[in-house]
Amino acid sequence: MRVWDTSHLLDTIPANRTDSEQVYDSTDSQANLARIRQHFKQLQTRLILGLVLGFLLPNAFLSAHFHFQFTHTLKKSAALNLAAVAESQKNTLDLYLQERVVNLYNLFHSKDFSLTPTAAQMENHLFHLKQFNDAFVDVGFFDTKGVQIGYAGPYPELLGKDYSQEAWYQGLLKENKNYLISDIYQGFRKVPHFTIATRQLFDGSPYVIRATLDPDKLYIFLRIISQGKEVESTLVNRQGQYQVVDPGRRPLSGKSEYIPSFTSPSGVEEIERHQQPLLVAYAWLKETPWALLAIQPATVAQAEMYRSRWILSISLITIGLVISTIIFFTIRRLVDNARRMAEKGQQLQEMLSHASKLASIGELAAGVAHEINNPLAIIMATSGVIRDMLNPEFDLDHSPEAICKELSVIDTAATRAKGITRKLQDMGKNRVPCSIACDLNALVDEVVSRLKKVEFKAKHIEVVTHYHPDLPNILAESDPLRQVFGNILINAGDAITDKGTITISTELQEGMVSVTIADTGKGIASKDLKNIFNPFFTTKGGGKGTGLGLSIAASIVKYLGGTIKVNSIPGTGSSFTVLLPVNEALKNHKG
Amino acid sequence: MEKQRGFKVLLVDDEDIFREATARQLTVRGFVVLTADCGKAALEQVQNDPPEVVVLDQEMPGMHGSETFVAIKKINPLIEVIMLTGNTSVDNAIELMQLGTFDYLMKPININELLYKIEDAYTRKQLNEKQRQDASL
Repeated sequence: MRVWDTSHLLDTIPANRTDSEQVYDSTDSQANLARIRQHFKQLQTRLILGLVLGFLLPNAFLSAHFHFQFTHTLKKSAALNLAAVAESQKNTLDLYLQERVVNLYNLFHSKDFSLTPTAAQMENHLFHLKQFNDAFVDVGFFDTKGVQIGYAGPYPELLGKDYSQEAWYQGLLKENKNYLISDIYQGFRKVPHFTIATRQLFDGSPYVIRATLDPDKLYIFLRIISQGKEVESTLVNRQGQYQVVDPGRRPLSGKSEYIPSFTSPSGVEEIERHQQPLLVAYAWLKETPWALLAIQPATVAQAEMYRSRWILSISLITIGLVISTIIFFTIRRLVDNARRMAEKGQQLQEMLSHASKLASIGELAAGVAHEINNPLAIIMATSGVIRDMLNPEFDLDHSPEAICKELSVIDTAATRAKGITRKLQDMGKNRVPCSIACDLNALVDEVVSRLKKVEFKAKHIEVVTHYHPDLPNILAESDPLRQVFGNILINAGDAITDKGTITISTELQEGMVSVTIADTGKGIASKDLKNIFNPFFTTKGGGKGTGLGLSIAASIVKYLGGTIKVNSIPGTGSSFTVLLPVNEALKNHKG
Repeated sequence: MEKQRGFKVLLVDDEDIFREATARQLTVRGFVVLTADCGKAALEQVQNDPPEVVVLDQEMPGMHGSETFVAIKKINPLIEVIMLTGNTSVDNAIELMQLGTFDYLMKPININELLYKIEDAYTRKQLNEKQRQDASL
């Protein structure tokens, strides 16, 4: 058994299409192209934004993260570097001061040492000290009472001076130290200097040798041991008083605005001086409560970091711009290609659709020509017969009765041609929606009754009906529906050669009303089944069928939102089921 | 009085009225006209009482004109066939000529045109028969 559903076939039937659908419309074509262009323009924008953001945002986040990490590391590195400089200078200074203390202390053990030194002996001591280091200015020897009893140096008036009340002297004796390095002070000579004093007991009594150091020489030494670009090194005491300083930058008597913490032996801090960020590293000396300060402008200390940051930023911006440009042009090219393809596809589709419509029109025209040509052929042949009858050469019966008989044949053929054109008009007719409730049981019964009188009676066809008692009404015009069921019933009758049964049943299934017309006729060959809804397709010979009946029926049913299903077994019979939608408002209304 | 041509023409068409009217026109013009309303009947006629020329309608239910033509040629290759068609396409005409039909005519036909084509077809059939006889000798 072959089953054929008209729902897909009906689209090819020209009658179902409106006038505007039949004609190739250039306005539609332009609108379609404009839609395609708009679509691809939006696609291009979305792709570019998506890819650029998708690339740039993660890149920017990663760059920012690494930038902060890098900055932190470089800042730390710059600080550690400066701290190392300060530590190194501090160690050198400690060593320097230790050496000076040892130089002085050794005088107690020199061969020229005397508890009552002569001037010559003192000069000799000073000579030896200066051989070790030229920062020594003078040297003095103090008795147990703190009176300077021996002196050599540029301030001879200091000989005989009592130093017992001087801070350095008291500090040396009270704290019971063996040596002491004083802060910078001016003393009796009224010139800034340092004192290095050493103590030695002779017979239980303390004797002191002290020497003074030139702060400028110590500064020169500090400069010599300085390291790093633009690093300024100074020495300050616990109060922040400068002990050694660049005389060109600040006065020796000045006080540092930065006082390092006592709690830590060394450290690094960032401060601001005259709105300039400075990096300060400090290290407390072992030999004396001085701190060495190594000060460097932060911009210099972190110059490498700023340079790297600048290179990184420029590189990122450049890479971002280059990649964005590549993305922009690549996507534009790809989208342009895709758009052109889509436009071509659309144009081809429109051309195909247009060609298909032309082909449908061509097929229809061929069908019309064929169907019209047959009655025309009869007309021409019969008119030829009449001409022959009137031709004395053939000596035929040309009585008015005989001619009238032939003319009636011509009339019949002309009527047949007229019927074809009328059916064609029906097929192409634009149907107007209507809201008339239609009782299908009654309508089918009426069509059957009409056919029973003539067509079915001649062939002894029995009609059996199984009407659904509560079949809801549908919204439709009754005349087109009569045409649908009339055409199907006529075909069913034609399929039965002599004696047979046509069974009609109506049902309600899944919101659709179904009318099934089954016959016990010859059936439809499987090769013909797919063509039965095509205009002008007929299996009826001898001019009995125009091939338009089922095509018109399908057109009407499709218009009503339904379908026609066909089951057929050649030699056994066919069954046509018309499915029509039920209007919700009429579902419970029985006509 | 029209001359008596005396040779048999088989007219095959499912349209009864057309077939009968055309047969009458050919008969008065001196042909011996045989008729058939379908391909199957035409083949029986060719086997039982072979005509010189067949005028064959292309669009017929059941056995199509083209199929009938092939079957006729199998029974008797010397019979010339003129096809009648309601189809106006050039493709159809080419298809028919490629099949080996003598000629084709489009419906509605002019009787005189059909008459000339039947005579030409008969002449060619006679020539073909003579050639075959000469060849067998």
